[in-house]
Amino acid sequence: MSDSARFAGKVAVVSGGSRGLGAAIVRALAGEGADVAFSYRKEAKAAREVVTSVEHLGRRALAVPSNTADAAETESFVQQARAKLGRIDIVVANAGISGPEGWEALTPDAWKSVLDTNLVGAYELFRAARPLLAHSEASVVFLASTGGMIAFPEYLPYSVSKAGVIAMTRSLALAMAPKVRVNAVAPGWIRTDMNAVEYASEPAREEIRQRIPRGRWGEPDDIAAAVVFLASDLARFVTGETLVVDGGGRHRWTAGSF
Amino acid sequence: MFDLSGRVVLVTGSSRGIGRAIALELARAGSDVIVHHRENPTAAESVRAEIVRLGRDARIVGGDVASPVVTAAFVRNAGEWKGRLDGVVTAAGIYRGDATESVLPAEFDSVIRADLEGTFSTIQAALPFLRRSVRPGVVTVSSVMGSHPGPGAAAYQAAKAGVEQLTRALALELAPRIRVNAVAPGFIRTDMNRGGHQDPGFFAAVTKATPLARWGEPDDVAPVVRYLLSLEADWVTGAVIGVDGGIALR
Repeated sequence: MSDSARFAGKVAVVSGGSRGLGAAIVRALAGEGADVAFSYRKEAKAAREVVTSVEHLGRRALAVPSNTADAAETESFVQQARAKLGRIDIVVANAGISGPEGWEALTPDAWKSVLDTNLVGAYELFRAARPLLAHSEASVVFLASTGGMIAFPEYLPYSVSKAGVIAMTRSLALAMAPKVRVNAVAPGWIRTDMNAVEYASEPAREEIRQRIPRGRWGEPDDIAAAVVFLASDLARFVTGETLVVDGGGRHRWTAGSF
Repeated sequence: MFDLSGRVVLVTGSSRGIGRAIALELARAGSDVIVHHRENPTAAESVRAEIVRLGRDARIVGGDVASPVVTAAFVRNAGEWKGRLDGVVTAAGIYRGDATESVLPAEFDSVIRADLEGTFSTIQAALPFLRRSVRPGVVTVSSVMGSHPGPGAAAYQAAKAGVEQLTRALALELAPRIRVNAVAPGFIRTDMNRGGHQDPGFFAAVTKATPLARWGEPDDVAPVVRYLLSLEADWVTGAVIGVDGGIALR
């Protein structure tokens, strides 16, 4: 019994939809009946493939080149989505970068690039879409990370930006209630381009796998399903929540130590 | 997505309230369901009949989760029905809202036994049957008061905090195969807190304090349990999902 077309007649906007988590989220939303506009930065060919896969599902898709760290480009992305697809019901702020490694020698510019994309960029997508969400059943989903919940000095600005997303989710949920629900998904280690370096190294891949109680890396579809759940009527009384989808990995001090 | 066809799920405390809504939602998603009650066979029978009307298979088991011996027996009965359990949802529980001065030792104990030990005993007894499932999942039922304190009902709040940590501990211990997650409902209109939502002043106060501007219904909680038991939540374990309309945000 699959009550499909959960999002029939609805329109979603997704930042960073050409690859990785974003591409899986775009496809999952379209699979549930939504028309989808998504932004991408550089990967025009990958973006075209995502558009084609959405159209194969019988839905409309719009790919817009847009840098999430640039507020004017984000505004333009949202306006194009509304003009072409007519309305906006679901906003998924997915675009993000891991940014520079480490914590000892971070420059102000390094901080700025990560925060501008992961935190301010997510806010700007919300801000641009907000006037179009003034109807009930609208929903916003931010992409956080377990890296924003546990110590993660390996990527300090990333960790701080994602902790900021979790805080922003709570505040905007309160501010937008009762009509618009605002939630976040916090993924653990997912097999995407962002984590390609760790995944490509057999020792690193295996060490991370062993720290995940479920015993496997996450797949983009694991995250896309959580986004669909939060954006759907199934989560009609859920707002301000950060849903952790990590195979249990954030409890890793116990999982990895004994 | 979120299809549960062919699953066999035990839902404790499912003759009424949130447990009943969960049993019916899981049946609508395709599950066969074991309905459990403590002392209300008539209500359990009406849930069973409704599941059968939905085209699914259902049976009834009974007994007080506050007794580990009784719990072991009814869970075994539930597991032997189809030879396995694909899911267990621990919705059975009691609420006592008394001020601390008036709580007798036996009353404190009764809350801890039903809400915390009952959750543990149910999962413990279900393990052999969960291990026979290809996709086993457990969902416990906490409360917003398991992590956000309020005056009165100290035993209940301590028990629900215990349920949340039990959930995380078992998620690690039973990994990698058995997933264990929790839902934490806010103020839901059920028989359990009838005294609250039938008091006009309290009803209005909760409505005002809830960002989504209403009391929750049992049917608001049930779909979250459906998600957690589904294949789509295969990488979710040790998680607690608040289903509270945002009441704990500030």
